[in-house]
Amino acid sequence: MNVLELKERVVATPVWRSIFRHRYLDSNRNRALTVFSNVFLHIHPVKVPEKSLRLRHTMCLGGLSFALFLALTVTGVLLMFYYRPAIPQAYRDMKELEFVVTSGALLRNLHRWAAHAMVLFVFLHMARVFYSGAYRPPREFNWVVGVLLLILSLLLSYTGYLLPWDQLAFWAITVGTNMAEAAPLIGPKFKFLLLGGNVIGENALVRFYVLHCVVLPLAAAVLLAVHFWRVRKDGGVRPL
Amino acid sequence: MHVESGSQGATLPQRVALLHRQLPARLEAPEEKLVMTFPHLIVREVIAMEILLIVLGLVSLFYDAPLESLANPNKTPNPAKAPWYFLGLQELLHYFPPVVAGVLIPALVVIALIIIPYFRVNFERDSLWSQRRPARLYGLSGGVLLLILFLAWFRVWAALAPTALIGLLMISIFPSRERGLWGFLIHRTAWARFFTGVHAGLAGLSLAAWIMSWFITLAVILTVVGTLFRGPGWSFVWPWQL
Amino acid sequence: MDSQRIEAAGSGRRRFLWFTGLGALGTAGAGGAAVMLDFVHPKVLFEPPSSFRVGRPESFPVNSVTADYARKVYLVRTEVGFFALSAVCTHLGCITRHVEEEGAIFCPCHGSKFAVDGSLLMGPATRGLRRIAIRLEDGELVVDSELEVEKDAVLRV
Repeated sequence: MNVLELKERVVATPVWRSIFRHRYLDSNRNRALTVFSNVFLHIHPVKVPEKSLRLRHTMCLGGLSFALFLALTVTGVLLMFYYRPAIPQAYRDMKELEFVVTSGALLRNLHRWAAHAMVLFVFLHMARVFYSGAYRPPREFNWVVGVLLLILSLLLSYTGYLLPWDQLAFWAITVGTNMAEAAPLIGPKFKFLLLGGNVIGENALVRFYVLHCVVLPLAAAVLLAVHFWRVRKDGGVRPL
Repeated sequence: MHVESGSQGATLPQRVALLHRQLPARLEAPEEKLVMTFPHLIVREVIAMEILLIVLGLVSLFYDAPLESLANPNKTPNPAKAPWYFLGLQELLHYFPPVVAGVLIPALVVIALIIIPYFRVNFERDSLWSQRRPARLYGLSGGVLLLILFLAWFRVWAALAPTALIGLLMISIFPSRERGLWGFLIHRTAWARFFTGVHAGLAGLSLAAWIMSWFITLAVILTVVGTLFRGPGWSFVWPWQL
Repeated sequence: MDSQRIEAAGSGRRRFLWFTGLGALGTAGAGGAAVMLDFVHPKVLFEPPSSFRVGRPESFPVNSVTADYARKVYLVRTEVGFFALSAVCTHLGCITRHVEEEGAIFCPCHGSKFAVDGSLLMGPATRGLRRIAIRLEDGELVVDSELEVEKDAVLRV
């Protein structure tokens, strides 16, 4: 039995047919079904205007921001296997990742640079949307969701900044939280709750860890879903 | 506006259409050429993602993420810097009290960004000097002047220079292209074609585009100054002295 | 069901149930939020004590500034007496440095400059360093970094 025959047999099994409901034949019906019957791809319409495929219409900035979010999720989850949010274990785990764990340094580099790139790409995406006027009705609300996602990107990056527990991390967070403290009325209380105390210590590290790994990514995922859904519902990319 | 109604107004279905004068004359979108999402769009997305991952992987192989010594709450490094995307803000903190630079300015920026689509900002995209020219000239000159005075009062030179430059550029477009500096550049210089293009580009910008460009320029300049030109005690240094 | 019928029925029993339900939901939500807020409010703090001994008065020469960066405090002895300054910059909380040669205190973060009596010499800080409580206990000087005192308070010994 050659490979092609084997493939035909596998594809014909009920198990395979239960997962992929249509054959991969180069017909428009199958191409439509590829998008239509896939939970991930059906964020797209079955057909798109040929014009919107042009690179200069979007420069891929939004899509690449999302790609970075996915890359950050994967590398971040892997890093969590070796990280303990405690003092001074957090810093020791950084050293361990860097010098002991196989590919540990590479994963940390990927996570770090992808985080910087994401902030940059989200900002550029916002500028692109502004200059192409893509925020005008009926997409006003999606622009607001986008602004919230920009803020979330900054917060995600900022909360992650404390986790290595090195000098860079500690003093960047000191300056940042004292800026928040300057806010009238709620500032000092907000800082106390964010740090879980008056000084940046163990409580603050655990709080930033939970925010960085659970709360903010979940919030971003929900807003991303809304953002993509609205792109689809408010009409595709059709700049002037 | 034109309303049509039959003699039996009570029974006949009626339709009143209100047309805003700014609506394009043709409401029906022209027949666009559509292509299948799979493979045309999906393949492009995958290629873009792959290029991104390759670049990211290469960068990560050759450049290590920074890791300094263990955090020491008693010893502030000099200079102590926030992540690069907050250094524009930290640069502002050097000039303004924390309430202004740390709370007021970021809050205003976020609010300004959020309300953009709700205040019909830049919807018609008419160029800045296309209508109400004298009123806009006085208003904008006054606004730019106030901003410059405000920045001079706090000695924010890094923000004042680009603000003044962009303000001058914006107002320099005001005279017709036959006169003034642009007239000279366009008609008398060897670079005439280039300046004609620049003039046409600038003259087509709406007020909102000017403001957004000003904001982005300022954000970039302040971030670059904070990142590359600030040394011990937040004093001015050259990037190679860092 | 169209909206007119809901509205017509909304005058009596249905309206009452609607508001009771919403009210219950709102109360539960507000209660939950309050509990959550209290939950994230730490009850015990394992932080270093704010009050500590710094030494006997005789061990500090007259007209000297002694920096204790570990406890974030400057102890100054003038001809009149002692006072203590918090080394935490009033701008954004960086730890300041006393530079002997210049006779001034500098903040490394944003370039604020203070005199050794705590007063502000140069921004961006908007006020001088905090002068904190100091007292004599069993012949030793005790500083409380949480207790701020008047700008000209001096402990005469």
